[in-house]
Amino acid sequence: MTGCPVYIAGMGVVSPIGCGLDETIDSLKKATCGLGPVAPFPVLLEHKLPVGSVALEGDDSRLPRTHRLACLAADQALAGSDRAPDAIVLGSTTGGILSTEFSFEEKVGDPEQYARHALGSIGEEIARRCGCTGPVITVSTACSSGAVAIKLAREMLRCGLARRVLAGGADSLCRLTYFGFSSLQLIDPSGAHPLDRERRGMSVAEGAAMLLLTTEPSDNHRLQVSGAGLSCDAYHATTPHPEGAGALAAMQAALADAGLSAADIDYINLHGTGTPDNDLSEARAVHILFPAGLPPLSSIKGATGHSLAAAGAIEAVIAGLCIEQGMVAANVGFANVDPELNIEPVLSPRSASVSTVMSNSFGFGGNNAALVIGKAQPKPVENAKRTASDLRIVGRACLTNVGHTQQTCKAFFTGTSAKDLLEEGIIADGLSPRLIRRLKRLPKMALSLSVRTCDGLPQERMPAMVSMGTAWGALSETHDFLERLIETGQQYPSPTDFIGSVHNAPAGQIAMLLGAKGANVTTSGGDCSFEQALLSADLLTQESADAVLVVGADEYHPHFSPLFDASVRLGEKPADGGGGLLLQRGDTISGPSLSLAYYQSSRKPNGVAELIDALGGEETVSRRFGVLLVGMPAAMRSKAENQLDAFLTQSSFKGPVVDYRPLVGEFASASAVATVLAVEIVELGIVPGRLISGDDRAMHGKGALVLGFGDFLTATRIMPS
Amino acid sequence: MEKLIEELKVKIVEILNLPNVTPADVKADEQLVGGELGIDSIDVLEMVIMIEKDYGVAINNKELGAKVFATLETLAAYIEEKAPELPN
Repeated sequence: MTGCPVYIAGMGVVSPIGCGLDETIDSLKKATCGLGPVAPFPVLLEHKLPVGSVALEGDDSRLPRTHRLACLAADQALAGSDRAPDAIVLGSTTGGILSTEFSFEEKVGDPEQYARHALGSIGEEIARRCGCTGPVITVSTACSSGAVAIKLAREMLRCGLARRVLAGGADSLCRLTYFGFSSLQLIDPSGAHPLDRERRGMSVAEGAAMLLLTTEPSDNHRLQVSGAGLSCDAYHATTPHPEGAGALAAMQAALADAGLSAADIDYINLHGTGTPDNDLSEARAVHILFPAGLPPLSSIKGATGHSLAAAGAIEAVIAGLCIEQGMVAANVGFANVDPELNIEPVLSPRSASVSTVMSNSFGFGGNNAALVIGKAQPKPVENAKRTASDLRIVGRACLTNVGHTQQTCKAFFTGTSAKDLLEEGIIADGLSPRLIRRLKRLPKMALSLSVRTCDGLPQERMPAMVSMGTAWGALSETHDFLERLIETGQQYPSPTDFIGSVHNAPAGQIAMLLGAKGANVTTSGGDCSFEQALLSADLLTQESADAVLVVGADEYHPHFSPLFDASVRLGEKPADGGGGLLLQRGDTISGPSLSLAYYQSSRKPNGVAELIDALGGEETVSRRFGVLLVGMPAAMRSKAENQLDAFLTQSSFKGPVVDYRPLVGEFASASAVATVLAVEIVELGIVPGRLISGDDRAMHGKGALVLGFGDFLTATRIMPS
Repeated sequence: MEKLIEELKVKIVEILNLPNVTPADVKADEQLVGGELGIDSIDVLEMVIMIEKDYGVAINNKELGAKVFATLETLAAYIEEKAPELPN
């Protein structure tokens, strides 16, 4: 065990095999199969595919289905808890898409009907319900999201950033995933039977699970998250590495994180989706990790189906239940051993002494996560602490309507009027035509930013990890997928658009291009998506000297952007773009330093005063910072202006203030551009007069502060080297 | 079948957005997937949809796909065999 223990203080679960822990235990003990033909949307096809759906009681049309599932799980996890968690980390791939699909099909033009489309709106809904005023991080790494959320929560707790974090995942069934996986021929028409010789695919499902994690010891804790490991295949957009290299790396990282060896694992909860490729590569990986023989193992997805982002969290809960109940869960639907897999899973539920469980979750983009859930250690070995050295900025690039980094800086620093959206040819300039032949706007932006951020770096400086923030994901692919699905009466959905539509597809493309096989995270939290990516990068590199590429980008889509993003509707003209930073720790690394000094909800009382404290207090702000770059999204302009006024009054800051959104444009990842501009200013040592409608101002060796106002208060410090 | 092969060449180049590839570059008897053209498993899925949509022929599993998509000739032969209405 390294670092302080991260206990599980509460668990909530909603899945096709039950709502709540008692129903879930009962179903596990009976090996109940939760798959059936009924989906929460009309299916026009003659042959309905089996799915794992949840019987949601009542008809609360106010909230999209994913939100309702997540709230149910959150309420269960927090039941009996006397105060709100300090932070929420939630994994989701669907957000409010099911509601959006209905509205899109009906050609609804009222933005209010799309108000909870965003992935980030789920965690924010839970935060409002439970009174959490800390950061809400939304992770979207496809089918590993729920497990990645638990990993990030664990790191947040271990470095002392929070003492109680609510973490988990949620996804609802929707047309996008039902027809998308079907177009990839990854659905078994007879229902998933993982590991079986005759398996033909998965069954798409829905559900949610949340875990209240804490470092506060208590005699009541029975379980802990002992370890968690992430990796990226950097191999293919959808197909896992054939030898299971990434899966193996994630499991090994989880064991190392837990300070355990393979022999300590009593039971493996496999990812086991039931697709021929996943089960084969996972089987190869576990055979390598357990050369002396496999512990009891099973996939529960023959019973629950595959609930995508929820799966990792649901299975973390089930791992915990197996330990508490002293049992191993059955691999429902299994009949014939596949000689190629050479695995005979647990055939029926049975009693067993289980102290430590490994739970796997792998996703599109080669995003792998493994968790180790164990019995609670009675006493903390170490306290939470933050010991890592500063992250240094070793590469940067940005992209705006004006062009790439040089054009953008030249335009903003010397004065050029803003232009229309950048042509895709200019965005993709320098990328090989074969590489981008299937990519639309957002992945092209992401690849372009990545290549330019890492331009000219020696191999040892190239990133091992990727952390990308995007509020809206690949809108072009999502739109085109749904449009064709509707136009063809659900007959001919595009596999290419489905693959590209997942939020983490661009980060997966980056990993493949750069060969980045470490953690690969995509965050999605509205105007704070980039800050969430920075926070994730910080958390995942606490004990690492590997370089991490952090990207923030959002595309403008003529149909969806104005419907989804209220600030876009108020913008003077369409805008999009993003920024990339390559960050690395280590005493030998030089360059300006970056740190996310503050990230809390603006509902927190005295948030501005707390923000100033986090920066070192009133005097420090003027002494250390030569310029503020302030993000005030158009839809929250008056609220943000009040927050800025409060900040300037309370900090007595008299230096130049750059209101960057009118310059960069109204898009959610504008702060990524602002952060890159802040680095340019720090390196230049001058605040160009053009930015502040006045004369050039010397920085006098001071740093730059990028502030985000609105629903959340964020502060990113850039200090000179 | 010649006509069908020529028609497929045009459609494949169009839907797969293959850079610097013309219909004439797609040879009827050469390896279609994993060869020099750069056609991969995701392209196969796009072709599956196109063939079902345009010719009414379903190729709904991987094993069958591997045989059918061996070359343009095997693909055209399969379509001719299975299509409810032959495209001449």
